[in-house]
Amino acid sequence: MIRVVTLDPFDDKQLAKFNRTLYTAFGVGSEHSGSAEVPAGMSEPLDAEKLLDEVKGIRAYKDDKVLLLTSRKLKDRDLPSGKAPTSGFARYGKDRAILSIAPFKDLEKDFKPIARHALHQLGTLWELHHCLDPRCSMYPPWTPSFNQGDHIFCTFCREKSEQKIRLAKS
Amino acid sequence: MPEGSAALQLQVGDRVVYPNQGVCRVAAIDVKEVAGQSLTFVTMRREEDGAVVMVPQGKIVSIGVRKVASPADVEEIYAFLRSDSDKADLDWKQRARTNLDRMTQGGILGLAEVVKGLQVLSELRPLPTKERELYDNARHLLVSEVAAALGTAEANAEDSIDIVLFPPGKERPKRTAAEFARPGGDEDDMDLDGDLMGLEGGELDLPSDEEPQSESEEESSEEGGEEEGGEEGAEDAPKKRGRPPKAKPAEGAEPAAPKKRGRPPKPKPEVAEGAEPAAPKKRGRPPKAKPPEGAAPAEPAAPKKRGRPPKAKPPEDE
Repeated sequence: MIRVVTLDPFDDKQLAKFNRTLYTAFGVGSEHSGSAEVPAGMSEPLDAEKLLDEVKGIRAYKDDKVLLLTSRKLKDRDLPSGKAPTSGFARYGKDRAILSIAPFKDLEKDFKPIARHALHQLGTLWELHHCLDPRCSMYPPWTPSFNQGDHIFCTFCREKSEQKIRLAKS
Repeated sequence: MPEGSAALQLQVGDRVVYPNQGVCRVAAIDVKEVAGQSLTFVTMRREEDGAVVMVPQGKIVSIGVRKVASPADVEEIYAFLRSDSDKADLDWKQRARTNLDRMTQGGILGLAEVVKGLQVLSELRPLPTKERELYDNARHLLVSEVAAALGTAEANAEDSIDIVLFPPGKERPKRTAAEFARPGGDEDDMDLDGDLMGLEGGELDLPSDEEPQSESEEESSEEGGEEEGGEEGAEDAPKKRGRPPKAKPAEGAEPAAPKKRGRPPKPKPEVAEGAEPAAPKKRGRPPKAKPPEGAAPAEPAAPKKRGRPPKAKPPEDE
């Protein structure tokens, strides 16, 4: 089950559409599971890793994947090889991811690129690596063409995610 | 000899890399009696999923188990990935062999070479399924080792690799086959005849599932190879394996038409001039012969009765 938890107010209709898209992409249920508060003392731009560790009040079962949705900016990560542009972050194979819609206008107008980013973060939760196919949602998200693509997976990534989901169910 | 394994002294709690399996932690080193011999076994637990493997200590080096790379090694990996030097071999068999060696014996640099090579190759054309899987495996092993070496999350390790491979704000370049050509590649054709290689200048050598060749293409490449073989047939040349080159036709003679495969066509019957061409044969049962026109029309035969014939009547005299 995918649980979308909002850190800021969003339109219910748009959230319903967003959940339908996630359901179509992964074939597992997706729902808006309420909202949570950003921990006190954290200011914009938010530190994605710290936020994932410290956010409280999220109820989920063991196999659930939680996607935190915020309209606030996330801080770019400093990595040993350079600075990584960060519009979202997910721990590989774990259960929590965060997505910021700050680089976009809003959920309605830029629905496609936001959904593509959401697929990317949830794919990371299901142990998908970055893909070589520019049409796939697992392509590195900082590339210029990423936002122009559809919210789909390539055959390899789709099959791998389905396999992971099947294993999780069994 | 795998790198870093020349003198591998393991202790419980050490992190090691098992080739093709990933980062493991040494869980125990203990002596067990097997078939009357006492052997020292190293028990390793894979960090990813907790799978356990026991290896005799004497086989640790030959298997290729090594310690996790250091941060300095990871810096070298970034420098290697940043460079534009590694081009995969276009010969898929050679590439598969090299990649297999790199995966098992090449250490972290071998993993990076597989990832970089296949990534650059994918800029020329999409990877076939098997190589896509190999790419994913190599990437997974590389990411988990970089994460272990730097003590960071796997997501960060992957992003740090991909920032180098896919620099932000830049699209990946399109490659051409010419970029993959190796200097002096013609001499390095493993002493195969042209007709076995079946290749021309810029063509790729692909497995059958990548690019099926049509029969006509095969024929033309064979002929091309034979011609090349004929030209190269100098006296001093070393003996070549395979089919010997065909004798050259005499000068001035017309070049022989290319051989066609399959059954030869049936010879056409010779038709005398002026004679009408034979009517085409009709298939099926021949029509019944018509009675001659002058003969009286015969009475139509009584229709055949079906079923059992009637019993013979007994004679009335008795």
